[in-house]
Amino acid sequence: MSEAAYLAGLVAAGAGALLGAALPARHRVPGAALASAVACLAALLGAGQVLASGRPFALRLAEVLPLTGAELSLDPLGALFVAATAVVGLAVSCYSVGYGAHAPAGRATTATLPAFLATVLLVPAAASVATFMVAWELMALTSLLALLADHRRRAEARDAAQWYAAMTHAGAAAILLGLVLLAAHAGGQGFTEIAAHRGRLSSPIASVVFVLTLLGFASKAGAVPLHVWLPRAHPEAPSPVSALMSGAMVNLGVYGILLVGEDLLGGGPLWWWLLVAALGVSSAFFGALHAAASTDAKRLLAYSTVDNVGLVLLGVGSAGALAAGGERAVAGLVLLAALFHLLNHSLFKGCLFLGAGAVQHAAGTRDLDRLGGLARRMPATAVLFGIGALAISALPGLNGFASEWLLLEGLLHGFASRSAVTEAALLAGVATLAITGGLTATAFVKALGVGFLGQPRTEGAREAKEVPPSMLAGMALLAAGCVALGVAPGVVLPGLERAVSSGLAGGAPRAARPGLGLALASWRGAVQPALVVSGLLAGIVLAWGALRLAPRPAELRRPRHAEAWGCGRESQTARMEITATSFSEPLQRVFADVLRPDHDLEVTHAAESRYFPEAISFHQRVDDAIERVVYRPVISAVARWGRVARRVPNGSVHRYLAFGFAALVLVLVVLA
Amino acid sequence: MRSGAELAVVEMAAGVVLAGAVLALWRKDLRALISLLGLQGAALATLAAALCVHDRDIGLGVVAGVVLLAKGLAIPGLLARVVRADPGSRETAPLVNVPASLVAAAVLVVLSYLVADPLTAVFPDPLTRLAPLGLATVLVGLFVLVTRRKAVSQIVGLLLVDNGVALVAFLLTAGVPLLVELGASLDVLLVVVVLQVLATTMRARFGHVDLDQLRELHD
Repeated sequence: MSEAAYLAGLVAAGAGALLGAALPARHRVPGAALASAVACLAALLGAGQVLASGRPFALRLAEVLPLTGAELSLDPLGALFVAATAVVGLAVSCYSVGYGAHAPAGRATTATLPAFLATVLLVPAAASVATFMVAWELMALTSLLALLADHRRRAEARDAAQWYAAMTHAGAAAILLGLVLLAAHAGGQGFTEIAAHRGRLSSPIASVVFVLTLLGFASKAGAVPLHVWLPRAHPEAPSPVSALMSGAMVNLGVYGILLVGEDLLGGGPLWWWLLVAALGVSSAFFGALHAAASTDAKRLLAYSTVDNVGLVLLGVGSAGALAAGGERAVAGLVLLAALFHLLNHSLFKGCLFLGAGAVQHAAGTRDLDRLGGLARRMPATAVLFGIGALAISALPGLNGFASEWLLLEGLLHGFASRSAVTEAALLAGVATLAITGGLTATAFVKALGVGFLGQPRTEGAREAKEVPPSMLAGMALLAAGCVALGVAPGVVLPGLERAVSSGLAGGAPRAARPGLGLALASWRGAVQPALVVSGLLAGIVLAWGALRLAPRPAELRRPRHAEAWGCGRESQTARMEITATSFSEPLQRVFADVLRPDHDLEVTHAAESRYFPEAISFHQRVDDAIERVVYRPVISAVARWGRVARRVPNGSVHRYLAFGFAALVLVLVVLA
Repeated sequence: MRSGAELAVVEMAAGVVLAGAVLALWRKDLRALISLLGLQGAALATLAAALCVHDRDIGLGVVAGVVLLAKGLAIPGLLARVVRADPGSRETAPLVNVPASLVAAAVLVVLSYLVADPLTAVFPDPLTRLAPLGLATVLVGLFVLVTRRKAVSQIVGLLLVDNGVALVAFLLTAGVPLLVELGASLDVLLVVVVLQVLATTMRARFGHVDLDQLRELHD
């Protein structure tokens, strides 16, 4: 039953791609969106059944792939990723109807979105090396095409696509090497076969496999320092694609790490997982800091994805390290928190990217410094974006709080661990969680406050209109998910527990008690968000009622007049309000060593005297320091090498013939 | 087992083909190279005829006729016309001098004997033992292609390679099907015609047929 629903989902998504390519322009987008929505519902049904029952399914489609056949199986861990993808995909399909109605999309653009969705749904179910690599590469390819949708209009999209293509192909090559090595040493390419024969692997081989695949998966997940494609690709992609990339595709990097590290290799030594946790810590800190410094709304969200994936990786790494030290109960709790956070991130980041797309749609820009006052013009978008922003800032009553609370509890309970190294890592994790919490709140106060409140700064923002209902419905679906999982996180915990016990090699004991709220099973610690929320709401209602009923002081009832001596401040204009750049200025000064902002101050003096400036212009850019320090030298070295290599083919026919002849003779000599 | 006289003819013909290729490195005069090609063509035709007599295969007889016409007469005739049209470019103008070329040829012959072992081991037979001669002709032909500058000597190199391939085919497969040999010979003839036109046009445009002068065309 579950496999039928899942396969139906895949087929429907494929049909959506065909519809998007074949239908006439007027019906193209709705047709593809309808098929994608059906696909997501079916996949969600299949994955939900696996999560609810804990029974995986396995399928073998011998005709699909030549020579090996496609092997599919969905265990609760994979089902969790399918479910997260399906929820984001459902919202994105709904949203794309309105989005496509405004910006007319071509056949290729319309067809790639369902195709991309299908591949993201497919990867977690792949159950052999060949199937996995095919699905993985299809995902890379379709996402690249989806990213290129705007390439005719924007040179930045082409640039972003180049970065993405290079990073994702290098990553896929590393994964392929790792998995092929694994399959060769385990004597089979089916995942169950490999897991059964992992005893044959020597520990250096296992480590090489893990590190190679970790490189590939971490680059897909966007972990620092392999994240450089992410802040370019996510802003440049059309918003439905960025939501799907950030809310679904990036997750699969985490899935890959768990798949290889736990499922196939069965745990492994402590240092593997400390490496993962270190990647997580650096990503969380770096991502949160850049998010706080960004002024482009989608770039901010992209860096925030780096931050949240970092937190998930921190959880995965800590869980692996604790499990390697034999602390299975805490490991289970930390992994539960990490997977819960991943699910929550899909919900709120999907909602935020869709919201940013709505803003870009309505106001024509996504630069926060050119927005403002949108709450009055597009109230529904503002409320939905606000829910996402509050959720990602981990405010109680919303889902971000639930998972971050669990993660913090898990890390703190891990301090009873026997290994001092693990304890140090956990301490770093707790500190990271604290600092990223603050930085994320700063970033989203900026996004919400500068973007939606105050007065409009440009004509585009002043003219903004509310987006069509289908786009609002897409956002509302995800925002409702954020609220539901925030008020009653206990609903999804049983499914997550099954995912944890299939994700952690050797299983894990129950970490949370059943119930509507959060309650730890083996330790003291419980939170009832429903109570917190109802208390808060009651407090707000009481305070509001009290203010309304209380007799107002006499001076407040008197009519107000404008101040006579207002220091020239007759009215508030947009120029007087704080901008995104100035809001993040103090943080940039504090973290100048990490962010390394470029300032450019130009002063034009009056001709008469240089003591009287005529015009002052100030520009500031915050580029990615890692890109500048690590990647630029590599790129320029490759370019230099390329220039040298261009001298080899000098146009002489004889030289080309000589190359061929020399190669032939060399082969013959080797054979002889 | 094959009879002595025919085998001796085959051995002789194969030897002549390789000798022609090596001599092509030694002679600098293009007219001499062209007559060497004619000699090779005749030797290949003789070889096919000897095989025809031995195998009582009329098809091979036709092949021998085609080879004689195409490789022995038509192709050298066409090339001779190109050279006659431009008396100034009779020299091959090698990039590697003649003694070094001959040493290289010797090395290539040894190499082809070394690598042909697996080929001869498949059917140990007096004919297959001659296969290295064909391989060596191919390699020497490639060497001519790489080291000779004039367009016509390039064509000669290409034809040497083709003759080597034909020789290997005759020796290893005990007779190429008529159709294949017919097609191959006509193809080569066509290539020569195209190259002849090309060389003539080059001379008309640039006043020479030195390929190294053409490097400005790249990019």
